[in-house]
Amino acid sequence: MNMARQLWSIYLRFTSRFPSLRNIIPFIPLLAAWTLVTELGVFPRAFLPGPTDVLNAFGTLTYKGVLTQYLEDSVVRLAVGAAFGTALGIPLGVLVGLNARIRNAVWPLLLFFQAIGDIAWLPILLVWFGFSLTTMTLVIVYTVLFPIVLNTSLGVRSVSPDLHRAALSLGASKLRVVWEVVLPGALPNIITGLRNGLGYGWRALIATEIIVGTSGIGFMMFDARRAGSVVEILLGMVVLGLLWYLVDGWVLAPIERATGRRWGLVTQ
Amino acid sequence: MINRWTTAFTFAAPLLLLLCLWEICVRLLHVDARVFPSVEAVFSAGLETIEDGSLFQHIAASLGRVAVGTSLAIVVSVPLGVAMGLNPAVSEFLSPLFRFFSVLAGIAWIPIATLWFGYGFGAITFVIFNAVFFVVTYNTLLGVSSIPMPLRHAAASLGATGWTLLTQVILPGALPNIVTGIRTGLGFAWRGLIAAEMIATNVGLGYMLFLARDFYKTEVIVFGMIVIGIIWLLIDRLILAPLERSTIERWGLVRRA
Amino acid sequence: MKSLTIKNLSKTYFDPYAGANVTAVHDISLRVEQGEFVSIVGPSGCGKTTLLNMLAGFIPPSGGSIMIDDKPVKGPGADRGVVFQTFALFPWKTVLENVGFGPRMRGLPAADCDRIAREFLSLVGLEHAADRYPNELSGGMQQRVGVVRALANNPDVLLMDEPFASVDAQTRMTLQEELTRIWQERRPTILFITHDVAESVFLGDRVVVLSKGRVLEDMPIALERPRVWEHLIEADTFKALSAQVLHKVRSA
Repeated sequence: MNMARQLWSIYLRFTSRFPSLRNIIPFIPLLAAWTLVTELGVFPRAFLPGPTDVLNAFGTLTYKGVLTQYLEDSVVRLAVGAAFGTALGIPLGVLVGLNARIRNAVWPLLLFFQAIGDIAWLPILLVWFGFSLTTMTLVIVYTVLFPIVLNTSLGVRSVSPDLHRAALSLGASKLRVVWEVVLPGALPNIITGLRNGLGYGWRALIATEIIVGTSGIGFMMFDARRAGSVVEILLGMVVLGLLWYLVDGWVLAPIERATGRRWGLVTQ
Repeated sequence: MINRWTTAFTFAAPLLLLLCLWEICVRLLHVDARVFPSVEAVFSAGLETIEDGSLFQHIAASLGRVAVGTSLAIVVSVPLGVAMGLNPAVSEFLSPLFRFFSVLAGIAWIPIATLWFGYGFGAITFVIFNAVFFVVTYNTLLGVSSIPMPLRHAAASLGATGWTLLTQVILPGALPNIVTGIRTGLGFAWRGLIAAEMIATNVGLGYMLFLARDFYKTEVIVFGMIVIGIIWLLIDRLILAPLERSTIERWGLVRRA
Repeated sequence: MKSLTIKNLSKTYFDPYAGANVTAVHDISLRVEQGEFVSIVGPSGCGKTTLLNMLAGFIPPSGGSIMIDDKPVKGPGADRGVVFQTFALFPWKTVLENVGFGPRMRGLPAADCDRIAREFLSLVGLEHAADRYPNELSGGMQQRVGVVRALANNPDVLLMDEPFASVDAQTRMTLQEELTRIWQERRPTILFITHDVAESVFLGDRVVVLSKGRVLEDMPIALERPRVWEHLIEADTFKALSAQVLHKVRSA
């Protein structure tokens, strides 16, 4: 027991200078276990290749420019879809949050369409727009829209009425109250919505690329599956997970924390 | 006096309004049936699938996969999450791992799942299991590790040990997080299910949609979408949300905005 | 001279939980002259907050009228500044930006807004905190900012809704003394809502006792200014007046 406690204390102190190490080091035993399992041949190599194989594939595909191209395609699609989804979602969210009548009218619609889910729209989008970029982008927009609208409206409603009243009694018009009070007040929630939306969007993108795809990480994984090449599937998964993990951990979450903390507001 | 009928009505009213709007638009604008079907076409197509039994087959397949995958996942992940969460060092150390895998939950595993399990029930259930497992384990871990130490000490000083401590203090304390985890995980699982069924099988709601697309039968597609929406709404709103609300709110841990 | 005239003001609303109409304010008539400091005191539920919300324009009255000079008042506006019990400072704006908010809404150039803000902040000794955010300040400091933010906009009437109820007793006494000092310097018209009898007597020229939505008493307070707690707390006049008010409040 004490040995373990000592080890833990050493670990904490070692990583105290660079706390981000705590997000990296736990993967080491996982990688070790993975290597061990593959070396021992517990599963046939064709089913579960080892980390070195994946690393090799990473090297080859990057060298050939294939991986970078696919990555770029995927990321760009996500960014474009997310941009449209956000541009639509924030104003809608503000409207729904501020006006109770609109909210009551629109809320059930929002819930229902969110329940249908992004993927279920693929077939009909394919009928309308074929196997094209439009189809893929629309799925992303749809996916990103709902978390943003819902979180934005939540944020708008969480702005204390006293803040509205303070601004009004200082001479602000209703429109200025939205710009000066409601939007800044809802910002932490909006960012949470963006973060959630991007998370869902990333997943939806993969599914779309698998089904529709001509390029992209999702397509790479499914194509590899068709060719029976497991290495590339695993590579795709690792790249996916790593990319999101990094973006979320080092960009989105800190932004969320920073806005929440600086303004003394609390985020979920 | 707000009763359940009024809430049900206020919920259904906008949807019914949308239905009317849909019918009016299709008629007025003479929309090609291949682009967007009329309400009537969807209705009769739906009726057909009910009559020839195919709808029930698809729903049964989909729900069956969800049920099996989810229950397996919960049975494994809750004890695992509790075990890991009890030790603050272990939970802190392992959190990044679970956060990482939560990101991959579900859809990203479809290609490799079909390789390992072939097409069909196995692969899809695996995807569902996967989606629920990581999310629920992570949330259980969080829930258990965030039970304040004073609470556990209080229980211990009142003579609770082992099994009683677990069932009387740990599980109830972590329950809100567990339920949130189940709700989120099920959300991922449902999406993963539809996607997987489009790719990897020949029965199920996702497959029904995808097959209809092949024949440009938009009325079947729209019908399928509505069915999917209704089923998820029922699961989420009638089961999961009230469950989450009752555990969280009843114990005053989080107040609904 | 801008005076505030309240005539036969009433407010009735439907309470869904009680399933019936509730009258918060029955019939209040009041006149406040420019530069007066009027305290409004009463037990919880006596309608004083509803009264203030109507004066501020946050809720519409059911009957009666509110006039500033001869102009009726409708909706919130910069002519009636409000100081809130919850401070209501904008968390994402610095102290300087908060105080300069009113002038900015009026369309003044940024430099003027800053200058006005700094001038008012120095009234309460908070110029040094100009670039801090509200959550970095203590409760007492935040409320000082709240008060000068409302004052910086030069309202016709300053409405204060139990502004010192959220701070500790010591800070409260300091804030009360500061408020009277500022009032003596600048002479704004102030309507101060409180449930604290001693506070109402300490601050006001007049104390209006409210109960169950009606005015029970309108008492002049003939205490000398400047008013300081250390002197007044022992003074017979103060104690007598406080006792009178308390008696009136309790008699309802």
